[in-house]
Amino acid sequence: MQKIWTILRSEFWRRVRTTGFILSTLLAPVGFVAIMVAPSLLAAWAAGGGGSDAPTVVVADETDRLLPVLKKRAGADYQLEARPAGTPTDSLRSAVLDGEYDALLMLPQALLNGQGEARYYSTESTGFTDRFALGDLVEETVREVRLDQRGTPTEVRAIMEANVPVQMRRLTAEGAQGGGAILTALGFGLGFLTYFMVFIYGQFVMQGVIEEKATRVVEVVVSSVRPFQLLLGKVLGIGAMALVQVVLWSAFVLAGLAFAAPLTALFLDPADLDLPQGAEPEKMMEAAGVTLPTVPLELVVWFVLFFLGGYLLYSSLFAAAGSAVEQQQDAQSLVFPITIPLLIPIVFAQFVIESPGSALAVGLSQVPFFSPILMPVRIAAGAASFSEIALAFTLLVASFLAMIWVSARIYRTGILMYGKKAGFAELWRWVRR
Amino acid sequence: MADLSVEHVTKRYNGATAVDDVSFEARPGRILGLLGPNGAGKTSTIRMITHIIMPDAGRVTYDGARVGPTSQQRMGYLPEERGLYKKLKVGEQLRYLAELKGVDRHTADEKITHWLRRFEATGWADKKTDELSKGMQQKVQFIATLLHDPSLYIFDEPFSGLDPLNAQLLRDIILELRADGVTILFASHRMEQVEQLCDDICLMSQGRLVLEGPLQDVKSRFGRDTVVLEFEGDDAFLDRLEKEGRVSIHNRSTRRAEMRLQNGTPARRVLEDAMQHTSEIYHFEQVAPPLNEIFIDVVSEEQGADVARRSSRERDPVLPDAVGAS
Repeated sequence: MQKIWTILRSEFWRRVRTTGFILSTLLAPVGFVAIMVAPSLLAAWAAGGGGSDAPTVVVADETDRLLPVLKKRAGADYQLEARPAGTPTDSLRSAVLDGEYDALLMLPQALLNGQGEARYYSTESTGFTDRFALGDLVEETVREVRLDQRGTPTEVRAIMEANVPVQMRRLTAEGAQGGGAILTALGFGLGFLTYFMVFIYGQFVMQGVIEEKATRVVEVVVSSVRPFQLLLGKVLGIGAMALVQVVLWSAFVLAGLAFAAPLTALFLDPADLDLPQGAEPEKMMEAAGVTLPTVPLELVVWFVLFFLGGYLLYSSLFAAAGSAVEQQQDAQSLVFPITIPLLIPIVFAQFVIESPGSALAVGLSQVPFFSPILMPVRIAAGAASFSEIALAFTLLVASFLAMIWVSARIYRTGILMYGKKAGFAELWRWVRR
Repeated sequence: MADLSVEHVTKRYNGATAVDDVSFEARPGRILGLLGPNGAGKTSTIRMITHIIMPDAGRVTYDGARVGPTSQQRMGYLPEERGLYKKLKVGEQLRYLAELKGVDRHTADEKITHWLRRFEATGWADKKTDELSKGMQQKVQFIATLLHDPSLYIFDEPFSGLDPLNAQLLRDIILELRADGVTILFASHRMEQVEQLCDDICLMSQGRLVLEGPLQDVKSRFGRDTVVLEFEGDDAFLDRLEKEGRVSIHNRSTRRAEMRLQNGTPARRVLEDAMQHTSEIYHFEQVAPPLNEIFIDVVSEEQGADVARRSSRERDPVLPDAVGAS
């Protein structure tokens, strides 16, 4: 035990203090947020004109009634101009091609009878946001003008425009709880985090094994400790490092959530939510339908346990693969079969989220190679019973013990074997010896 | 201090026998030389002694008990293939390796300071290992074998890659260790080093022990059939002697030759020829054959002369006589 602890401590410290680890710990959340937020920010920016002026659109309005309403509704988003009297459509098209206008919008007479279609011609293909915005704009305009023609009373229009919010709450023994969707997303996030970390840290273990073997330092080390102690100390030391990183990231996320409500409130106008000016951020979040759920302790504990179980199971395999080769490049053919069972649960994750209680989801989440990723998803969705979770975890621990035994047998032979590339048949011989 | 005893040890890999029923003993206060060409089974034997691999048959005992975790703590092992953690600082590296041998931090640090000073490397503790030259790394690795005060040392080609000064330092330390009464196993291809350092030798070939005993006994078994000659003048007579099959020259320079007498040629025949053809003779001596010749003789019988000659020269380092020069 003393030896394993010495190895664990050394493997942990020599890596944790590197700039690479510190930077990745600090920057990964920033990068993650950037990846999540940047596309929507950019899209919003592009939709808001993308920094260019509102497009000038010449409108061929055969109804003579739509254009004024359209102008009112469009505001500053579009520069709408009436067709110069008597200009044929063909000349308008060539005017667009010549760059005189950015686009041509044709509104036929039939629109007012609920028939026909509007046409929008421009030289550029339209982005999604533009397409929907313009579609909504024309649709609402036509609706308004047609309602006007029929003299529809204001009350009826209010009924048509009213939103009906649907609040989803999950029923548990402790009572109803909001934020089910966010919890499910969190479950998926945790599953994905496990996948990501097991993959990255498994590679660290493999690199460490290969380095020890390539520099030949391993021979001195195994003349002091059993190969199994070295393997376990290394796996645990690097695992401790993974755990530190996950804990730090969780702390960042919690701190982020604490600030999220007031921050979001900054972007919301209380008036939109029928609240008085200066309403408290919590009230506004609630009114906006955004409730941050309290993360159940059960989920946190199981996540950590499954995370560690998954890491240990896979990293012992990565270590065995590393021991069979002398350099990183040669490891690929051995790493491939390890990454397959790691990928399968990611493929099924979407399905498990959609129907976490289905027989397939239950079955998949019991398989030791899949459970570290799929079980947190089901636990977060509230679809896993304690006995299911406990069984999955027991199976995971049992397969870890079996795998580390197999890996240790490959490892103790592999680390001293130079000059030949071992295939799977060779590895199997090492296990049986 | 205790004996190391290798008893009828056999090791096979995938059906090929690497070590075949080998037995020998190493005693405290003596240096045992383990010799043999490549593939003779030296490394496998050493790995069984260091408890890195297990014998298929036979057993290895140290101090009366089978080797295992306990004996590992008392062994200092310098493998032929050296290696250290590149990214660790020298101090950390040595402390880690000492801790793996069960030395506590405090004692380890004291020992590290002591030995770094002894190797004139005081400022190295905070340097990263991969910033050191190869020779410097060798020293660090050697220090790593000393930190836990072992009572059994196993040095596999300890001098390879060292310059003459450092080789001298290493030799002094090895001799000091011997004087302290520890047991030392010294594996090497370099016969002149073995001749200088070892008290006993074991010669392995193709997994078997082919020659064993105290160095002087082994040499005297081969008789005084070697002639050393130093002279001035024409050396064509040497070629003639060799062509006639009277001698075989194994070491020759412009003014010096070492040869084995062949086919019962008397030593005086060489002297007579030399007196006749050279202008001056500085030295003439009849001696036991050098270990290298014994090595070649014995291994030739086992494997054929080519293999023997090739492997006796194979790993001669760039700096010749690193040890012998002093």
